[in-house]
Amino acid sequence: MNEIRTPYLIVGFSVAGLWGARTIWQKDPEASIVAVSDEDGFYSRPLITYFLGGKSQSIEHRLKVPEGAPFTFLSGDRVEHLDTQNRMAFLRSGKKVLFDRALIATGGVPVVPPIQGLTNEGVFTFTGRRDLMAMQEFLRRTNPKRVLILGGGFIGLKTCEAFMHLGLEITLVELASRLLPLMLDEEASRYLEDALRKTGVQVVLKETIQGLEGNGEKLTRATLQSGAHLPVDCAVVAVGVRPNVAWLSDSGITVRRGVVVDAFQETSQTGIFAAGDVAETRNLLTGEWNVVAIWPEAVRQGKVAGMNMTGERIPYPGSLPLNALDLGGLALVSAGIVNPPEGAPFEVLVRREKHAYMKVVLAEERIVGLIMLGRIEKSGLYIRLLRERIPVTEFKERLLDPRFGLVNLPREYRKSWVEGVGMEV
Amino acid sequence: MKKIRIHEEYCIGCHLCEITCVVKHSPSGKLIKTFRDTNRPAPRVRVEEEGYVSFALQCRHCDDAPCVENCLTGAMYRDEETGVVLCDEDRCVGCWMCIMSCPFGVAERNAEHTHIGSKCDGCVKKGEVPPCVENCPNEALTYE
Repeated sequence: MNEIRTPYLIVGFSVAGLWGARTIWQKDPEASIVAVSDEDGFYSRPLITYFLGGKSQSIEHRLKVPEGAPFTFLSGDRVEHLDTQNRMAFLRSGKKVLFDRALIATGGVPVVPPIQGLTNEGVFTFTGRRDLMAMQEFLRRTNPKRVLILGGGFIGLKTCEAFMHLGLEITLVELASRLLPLMLDEEASRYLEDALRKTGVQVVLKETIQGLEGNGEKLTRATLQSGAHLPVDCAVVAVGVRPNVAWLSDSGITVRRGVVVDAFQETSQTGIFAAGDVAETRNLLTGEWNVVAIWPEAVRQGKVAGMNMTGERIPYPGSLPLNALDLGGLALVSAGIVNPPEGAPFEVLVRREKHAYMKVVLAEERIVGLIMLGRIEKSGLYIRLLRERIPVTEFKERLLDPRFGLVNLPREYRKSWVEGVGMEV
Repeated sequence: MKKIRIHEEYCIGCHLCEITCVVKHSPSGKLIKTFRDTNRPAPRVRVEEEGYVSFALQCRHCDDAPCVENCLTGAMYRDEETGVVLCDEDRCVGCWMCIMSCPFGVAERNAEHTHIGSKCDGCVKKGEVPPCVENCPNEALTYE
């Protein structure tokens, strides 16, 4: 049948889409949902690097579509045009879906800068199942020794971690003066660079690739901006992702960098919502609108969108950039504003140890940013203080203490924070 | 579901809860044998102390547990029958999302830093009382 009618359409079915669907079913288990995805099914995207490196046996997630749920999954398909006035989605396969409410959860696509030689065999992006399969096939067939990673951001470093486990010779090139430019400061980056160099990774900062060359068959050489040549068998372009919004250009939905949503995850078109890496949301700390493309945000936004698609009006408190990573045995957590401009209202507290670094950024006596590196335990507690805008005046001098914990907070917080059966004071 | 309730005004900071937790999760289940073993498990409950204030804190098994939602693999999950939040170590890849997400700061890495460690697993069957509660000499932990 070429025409499908549904109360709920979900476009893209990764973590935001799945959580949107689960939330709708939580409210109404009988709700029929149609999802369109160009993938074969739901899996955990971030697991592709762990799988490649051998740390995970699978990229499947425990979470699934509940058994028996009224669900139609249109795999290997895409929405090519969204008619928001008549609530119709036109698919590449020729199918037409008529819907009451829709969730846009198409995620991001890798940014590929215009570098010469990208078409050589051995050049990859690395964000999805297809990339993983192509990479594995390439590794098996050509047994490469030297890999180049362009981009020292989150994806670049996770890919680096996988290659480290595979025992490859790695050169990591980052344009900025530090690794994880959005998550770390210069000092924290030095710890990470040291940890990487110790394991044999070549870290090259303030550099980029000018061109890639092959021998007609496959990649053989990279040329850096400085003119230096580097023999390589494989290159991963990991300079970032951007929201997957090209298909919405004629939809009438307001798109800036991502699909702009209001506090209810609803787009400029009533009844059409967006969540996850495709959505542009209000930043919890700055109030600016931006895309915060991380798993925890995709979950939270997916839940809020799902709720509001069923007719609720649950506001979203705002997005918080945060992430965790483990590289060469060095664990790190980062959240919020980690590189504040100098001076008021910001105050910066720093603790330096041989193998650990901690930075707490305060503004008006509240935590607005955190870096923990080497020692990451309790990071969740600091991030909670940040989210809930708890004044830290009473316990500020204890914030950097490795033994800092719930016990350092004023009694009223200790009592009210312990959920379910409470903590008595 | 019954939960462990914390009463800080009764806690004397004796750490017996930690000790009985370690014994409970050790292969022998015997106190002396357990503590002679240098590979003994870490306690899944920790006494927090500051001056005269102390209390024993373990996973609160939150209703909307952020560690479960943010887990990249589903290693962190809720046992539908008991309501307890558990960690399936075979699935854990050590991404530390749960540590970043735990609003009480109780999620920790294991000693080798490979997986999540020392996670309260609500260790008893229905009708029983967890050893950390049972052995508390001053009822600073109760099970209700």
